[in-house]
Amino acid sequence: MSFLIPCPHCGNRSVYEFRFGGEVKQRPEAEAPAEEWMEYTYTKANESGVQKEWWYHRSGCRQWLQARRNTTTNEVLEAFFPQ
Amino acid sequence: MADGSGKFTFEFDGKPVEARPGDTVASALYRSGRRIFTRSFKYHRPRGLLCMAGKCPNCLVNVDGTPNVRSCVTPARNGMHVRRQNAFPSLDHDWLSGVQRFDWLMPVGWYYKTMTHEWSWHAAEPYIRKVAGLGVAPEPGKGSTDYEHEWRHAEVAVIGGGPAGLQAALELAQGGAQVTLVDDQSELGGHRRYRKSAGGVPSQLIAQLQSLSSVEIISRAHCFGLYEGNLLGVVQANPHAGAIERLIHLRAKRVVVATGAYEVPFPFENNDLPGIMLSTAVQRLIRLHDIKPGNQAVVVANGSQGDEVTADLREAGIELAGAVTPDQVLSALGSSHVAALRTKQGELACDLVVICGPRVPDGGLLHQAGAKMAWNEERGAFLPLGLPANVSAVGEVTGVWLAPAIPLPPRDLAFHKRSFVCMCNDVSTADLRDAISEGFDQIETLKRYTTLTMGPCQGRMCQLSGIGVCAHETGRSMGETGVTTSRPPNPSVSLGALAGPRHHPTRRTPMHYAHDESGAVWMDMGEWKRPRYYKSASAAAERACVEEEYRAVRERVGLIDVSTLGKLDVKGHDAGKLLDKVYTNRFSDLKPGRVRYSVLCDEAGIMLDDGTISRLAENHYFITTTTGNLDFVEQWLEWWLVGTGWDVHITNLTGGRGAVNLAGPKARDVLQALTACDLSTKAFPYMACREAEVAEVPALLLRIGFVGETGWEIHFPAEYGEHLWKKLLETGKSLDIRPFGVEAQRLLRLEKRHVIVGVDTDALSSPYDAGMAWVAKLDKADFIGRNALSRLAEAAPPQSLIGFIMNEDAIPQDGAAILVNGALAGRVTSSRYSPHQGKAVGLAWVTSASASAGAEIEIRVNGGTARARIVPDAFYDPAGDRLRM
Repeated sequence: MSFLIPCPHCGNRSVYEFRFGGEVKQRPEAEAPAEEWMEYTYTKANESGVQKEWWYHRSGCRQWLQARRNTTTNEVLEAFFPQ
Repeated sequence: MADGSGKFTFEFDGKPVEARPGDTVASALYRSGRRIFTRSFKYHRPRGLLCMAGKCPNCLVNVDGTPNVRSCVTPARNGMHVRRQNAFPSLDHDWLSGVQRFDWLMPVGWYYKTMTHEWSWHAAEPYIRKVAGLGVAPEPGKGSTDYEHEWRHAEVAVIGGGPAGLQAALELAQGGAQVTLVDDQSELGGHRRYRKSAGGVPSQLIAQLQSLSSVEIISRAHCFGLYEGNLLGVVQANPHAGAIERLIHLRAKRVVVATGAYEVPFPFENNDLPGIMLSTAVQRLIRLHDIKPGNQAVVVANGSQGDEVTADLREAGIELAGAVTPDQVLSALGSSHVAALRTKQGELACDLVVICGPRVPDGGLLHQAGAKMAWNEERGAFLPLGLPANVSAVGEVTGVWLAPAIPLPPRDLAFHKRSFVCMCNDVSTADLRDAISEGFDQIETLKRYTTLTMGPCQGRMCQLSGIGVCAHETGRSMGETGVTTSRPPNPSVSLGALAGPRHHPTRRTPMHYAHDESGAVWMDMGEWKRPRYYKSASAAAERACVEEEYRAVRERVGLIDVSTLGKLDVKGHDAGKLLDKVYTNRFSDLKPGRVRYSVLCDEAGIMLDDGTISRLAENHYFITTTTGNLDFVEQWLEWWLVGTGWDVHITNLTGGRGAVNLAGPKARDVLQALTACDLSTKAFPYMACREAEVAEVPALLLRIGFVGETGWEIHFPAEYGEHLWKKLLETGKSLDIRPFGVEAQRLLRLEKRHVIVGVDTDALSSPYDAGMAWVAKLDKADFIGRNALSRLAEAAPPQSLIGFIMNEDAIPQDGAAILVNGALAGRVTSSRYSPHQGKAVGLAWVTSASASAGAEIEIRVNGGTARARIVPDAFYDPAGDRLRM
């Protein structure tokens, strides 16, 4: 694993500068049914292809960003600060 | 020492060997008369120089304690110590060479066929390890650590300093690119250094490149891997005196592979005897080292392919005993060195057999990068197809100028146990045939069953022949048989280079040297150094020292350095809102000047960290986290802020602030002497915080009680650490103050049943089963983990964290098993001898059914069991009166 992530603040950087933060998911409402919470807490889509992920630029700008990465090729299509 | 001619000496197996400038270890040894360089992996057969290019396993030696060094490409240095491997008592007379007489006892897949009982491998392994193998790794702690790591970036990386690589580098540089050229030889020029007919070293081209400031040249460096994002793994030998190897992490926008092609042998009986060499090895010895490799040579070549080396042999004054084509060769004769070549026309006496073998494009890097390796009949080679973007190939690696040297697959193949395909692991044509007949007829399974291509050469010498044998036996074509996957590292890399230098980042607290003066015994906590305890004048054993420190805190006053706590300053209008959302306790209603404890849970309700949060002002909080979780907590808070638009600013003050905890019944007397702040319980109650000067240092005082006595956690700018520490000790001297370490602190907190998250809890612990239900404020509208916690609050937990007191004198170890009615029912998380109880106490997880107060449990101690009883309260001051005094 040695791919690059185009940090919107720092530019193309080695993945080793980042911490993986998991798939981007929508947190359910506080009173949402248990199934929804279970889905959110425990289930991963683990997409074979492009998925949206959280990454933290630990050894750089120390900001959380989101990236669209192809999990089979490790190509990062884009990285951006979520609005 | 080097004399006027530049000659110098090094040691081989204790004897001096003379070397000339430009010599490699192998060339100097060869000139000194050495012919056997190694003993083979399984059969201890004698092996001599084969490739002279760092590609085969035949010349591996131990250099200055480092095993498996390729002597043919390692420059000889004055005074180096070189030793043989895997031979006793010497390379020339290896007692274990008798093993080869029993090779019929070792069929392919020998381990699988003989080690069929569990005990057989255990019984045989130690002997096999002694008999078989390559070099021996240095003993732990004895190996050299003189390895370096370097990170480089290049616009274009050109791999290979032969004519194609040089030309590519020059054209790219002239086109404006910044170029890094990596070459594995000591001098540039590739095959033109030793092949006379190729036109000699292109010195003008090299001079031109060297004059360009945009070109960087890394010599004696082999590239072993091409990874994602065009990251190249490069190992440079002897980058400077005092460094064995340097691992270069080379990142390039574009990679040009110009690794050329190398020559490989082909199988026939006894094809591994010393004196049987590849033609390029012969040329290297003659042209690069001015060595006459033999006296009588036989050249094995197809058509005109032997002309060039034949001319070189003549020029070197070597008699030509014959020239034959590969299909005429039957076997080589000789015991420790080749004496004759048996051909279909008869025997040819000789001391050198020159093999003009097939030339293999060195496409491993391209294969790793994703290229497909496709068989090309016309070139007699597998050629890379479909290169990924930003990777290109030039020169012989693409297959240009190549021509088949032998028919592939071979037409009439002789199977013999000593007709070697793989020199690394002693795999013969007969082994491959047997494996295929046993069903391993796909190249990838054949590889795994026979270990073909899995030795130090990583298939470079044997892959083509192996595919040929497989194709021959299965009746498939070369292309249908295909190649095995190339994976880094190729060639093999020393573990020392990958491990790199031993750099352990260490963090020291501001009072580090004051602790040293007080006789601290250190322990590591992540990157931090912390005093475990302090050596006492009156006690020697750790337990006695810890107990003295314990008594100081319980009876008088003690001082501990807690600077390693994570410290986060949280400011902003929405700071309280963020803390309410992330922590389980409530903070928006906390009054300024007050402190509250909380845990932090994930969405599954599992406790991730704990700490105190002080409200310093309306929009200003101060968080402490556990030492190891600071980074996580800071990132966790930042993460939950993303996208909220909330006005919160988090500053990590951990390195900038020192902290101590002053605790004990006399703590107030000490601190009051140094501050104007009123410390009376009325003015400064338990769980309150104040900003005040202590010994003229601006400080934040938190009245909290991890150790269970009246005390203050004092936070202050790190640069005043030593001053404040010494001032507190000086002021407390008349009260017999003692500094105390982590071990005493753990004992003190255990008596109070204060949980350490991550020690007493694990990845399945919620506040409910840890007996801390009060910390989860389910009436808050929403917070991280609320949904799961509200469910856990209603369910009976399967396990509970309980406190126990031993009935006997035994002290259980952390992690000890707990038995109820003889059945396993849980485990101890922390246990210490409690001076207050006069018995060991501890915390443990037990099944909730067994967790009732007063119940008796058994704990595994020293191989037996000891009895303990479950108690509901803290082991010391359960009402907490001493905290509030």
